[in-house]
Amino acid sequence: MSDHESEPVTPLARPSTKPRIIAPRRPVTPRAAPSIPRKPSRFRSALGRAVSTRLGGAGILLVTMLLLVAVFADILASDLPLACRVGGTLYVLPNVTRPATLEGKDSARIASEATWAIFPLVAHGPQRAPAAQEQPVLFAAPLSAKGHPFGTDRGGRDVFARVVHGTRSYLVFALGAVAASIALGAAVGAFAGLYGGTFDALLGRAIETVSAFPPLVLVMGIQAAVPRATLATLFFAIALTRWPEVARLVRGEVMLVATRDYVLAARALGASPWRVLVRHIAPNVRAPLVVSIVVGISAVVLTEASLDFLHVGTPQAGASWGETMSQFRDAPYAWWLLVFPGVLLFATVIGHNLSAEALREALDPRAR
Amino acid sequence: MLAFAIRRAVWALPTLFGVSLVVFLLTTLLPDPAGADVDASDVVMRERMDELRRARFLDLPRFVNTAPRDVSSRVEECVPHVAAANAEAAYCALRLVQMGGAALPWLLPKLDHLGPVERGRVAVALAPIARRMGIGDERDVANPERAALFWERFWDDRSVDFTEPAVRRGVQRLVQRGTELREQDLVLVDTFALRQVVEAMRRTRDREALVRLSRIAQHVTGRGRVVPTDATPDEARAIVSAWSSWWFVHETDYVNLRGGEKVAASIVQTRYAKWMLGAATGQLGLSTRDGLPLLDKLLSRAPITLGISLLALLVALAVAVPLGVLAAWQRGHTIDHVTGGVMLILYALPTFLVAEILRVRAGGLLVSGVILPVVALATVAVAATTQQQRAAMIEALAQDYVRVARAKGARTLRVATVHALRNALVPTVTLAGVQFPALLGGAFVVEEVFDIHGMGWETLRAIEARDVAWIVGVTLLCALVTTAGLVASDVAYGLLDPRVREAQTRTRRA
Repeated sequence: MSDHESEPVTPLARPSTKPRIIAPRRPVTPRAAPSIPRKPSRFRSALGRAVSTRLGGAGILLVTMLLLVAVFADILASDLPLACRVGGTLYVLPNVTRPATLEGKDSARIASEATWAIFPLVAHGPQRAPAAQEQPVLFAAPLSAKGHPFGTDRGGRDVFARVVHGTRSYLVFALGAVAASIALGAAVGAFAGLYGGTFDALLGRAIETVSAFPPLVLVMGIQAAVPRATLATLFFAIALTRWPEVARLVRGEVMLVATRDYVLAARALGASPWRVLVRHIAPNVRAPLVVSIVVGISAVVLTEASLDFLHVGTPQAGASWGETMSQFRDAPYAWWLLVFPGVLLFATVIGHNLSAEALREALDPRAR
Repeated sequence: MLAFAIRRAVWALPTLFGVSLVVFLLTTLLPDPAGADVDASDVVMRERMDELRRARFLDLPRFVNTAPRDVSSRVEECVPHVAAANAEAAYCALRLVQMGGAALPWLLPKLDHLGPVERGRVAVALAPIARRMGIGDERDVANPERAALFWERFWDDRSVDFTEPAVRRGVQRLVQRGTELREQDLVLVDTFALRQVVEAMRRTRDREALVRLSRIAQHVTGRGRVVPTDATPDEARAIVSAWSSWWFVHETDYVNLRGGEKVAASIVQTRYAKWMLGAATGQLGLSTRDGLPLLDKLLSRAPITLGISLLALLVALAVAVPLGVLAAWQRGHTIDHVTGGVMLILYALPTFLVAEILRVRAGGLLVSGVILPVVALATVAVAATTQQQRAAMIEALAQDYVRVARAKGARTLRVATVHALRNALVPTVTLAGVQFPALLGGAFVVEEVFDIHGMGWETLRAIEARDVAWIVGVTLLCALVTTAGLVASDVAYGLLDPRVREAQTRTRRA
């Protein structure tokens, strides 16, 4: 719609108060037929409506903030500066590009070597650099040790950096796992909904089978049974436990929509099943799927944190809230190990839940 | 009603099949011990490795056995190696001796078809069998030339004893009235009697017979335990069940499959079927962490975890139903807003965080070890159930029959409980069935935090020790319990709502 309006105005057709429809600015080709400006997409208007409610707005604000933290984790906390000049070379954003010449040095070392350096909010990464000059301060309380606003953990690693980078690893992982389960579930569900019959019955059994396992137990079982548990196996295990929910949702929706008159009409006109699915059915399924994605992310983050807390999840080297919180069990006085990651975890879950609830209401045609 | 419950239970069978498939696939993720390098000439090591693999049925194909092996086919595999005296000879000779008397009816007639040297080699390889039976002169059985002749004569004399009816009679008589002589008769047919012996052990409760039978079994196989003469019934049963599970794994070493058995074996003699039959009869094997029988361990740990989860569910329902009703009744008022906000926060609190905070903050208030874990576990469930109950109650309160009840002057409490709540409870009960798996998973976390030695605690130790047998057992048990919970909640649904029952019956008939 925007390209209609932003075209350069020719001298002949000066801007006038007349409606544009009377004086078309270019020959009408069959492809450019619709001249009525399209309504903003249903999803965008729904998002607007969701934001406008108080709780929904708060939820979406929380989610946005977490996403920003995840994206700009390196700007917020990194052992390398935002910019610096070391040995006559100018480095810009070395914390993102991580040049080989600075690798292994910690902030204190760079600060002493550099002509000048601008450091991020907290000059520590989630890991301690191998050649760190500073003595590690173990279990430092917040603000007690210089440069560690949230304190340090068992290994002297900065809690702020670990929490911030944990946001990134959790959200990226959750997005990936949810995307995988959505892709699988939507494909299987749509197929079952469209064709029904034996496949549908089989799917029903499969869904019931997977739902029979407590998700946490199944993920733990898979992680323990595979020869080497990695992030990839965790990814598949979580996708495996989540797809049935999506498949059930999509199947129901597809079955409902497939009997509508406009779908029958499209079929009668000879549209291929694929076209019917994409053009006529998919738009109806999109709304519940969006809600399912948002809910799914909070569920996956929660599962991952629980697994990390129990030391069954990802290898412990990566920054993870669950791992930081699990250290609290050995050091019950170090409340900061529980509180800071806990607050972010809580914010993630409640933010996604609120957003999902608001989106559900906004996208529900009956609620309008 | 009973018909409805039974129908629902039958409906769960395909799910159980699916569950067994998933758990079975989990077991196949385990590394195969054959991957380890074993020197081909190290017969003892190979034998031990073989046993390890066979205990997990890794020698069998996964789902269909196109060529099920039995004693005759095993003999055919082994004899050429022994006759040729090649690298496999020592191992194959050991296998022949293990099969023992059961192999003789297929082995001895074959000796005639071999050349004199090969015949001698095979005959000498059989010497330990003769020693086990207590027959033959050492000069005869160990000498290649004489041994062949010895076994030929043996078969001429004794082939009558190597028939199923003869052995069955022998075992029956031994069970009825055991004497040394009758026991000796059975030792003379060696492992050929094993099938009848093991079956008799399963049937009889007579201790003296068990002592004799297990003595024969131990003598001919060179393994296992003999029932002591002063054994308690429990002890005796444990030994018999050990024999019976050993037989479950090794049956085809001693039994020849005929006609129908062969067809059945193509399904039964597979890794999946064996594993599932074993699991169904409670033969889950041993936990690799501490070598205890898995079933015993599961039975001792499961009540703790299931108890905590069930208690948490009950607590959640007890708190959530009144709260939900209250919030619905006071819809839009302060109470509704406050509960809504609190539940929102509770719902977003991770179980382990709640448990950890409770453990540290309320550790002094610990009245009994159960209260805090249950509270921690119930938090999330309370939130979900309250919201569900509130929504259901609001819907119920808007129904016409509630208005009618009020119009005819029923008291508020009566309207709320009798008229509205009965209908509003239905979705809550369904939710409870769905929530149980999540609670079970949460119990694993809570157990770890509060150091309660239930299934979850044991599972985490098992993961540390890579004890996959336990993990498989736990996964299976959890899935079974969950399925049972779903069936129960559906039946409860039918109890609460006659329409559901009717709808189920109708769709079935249509």
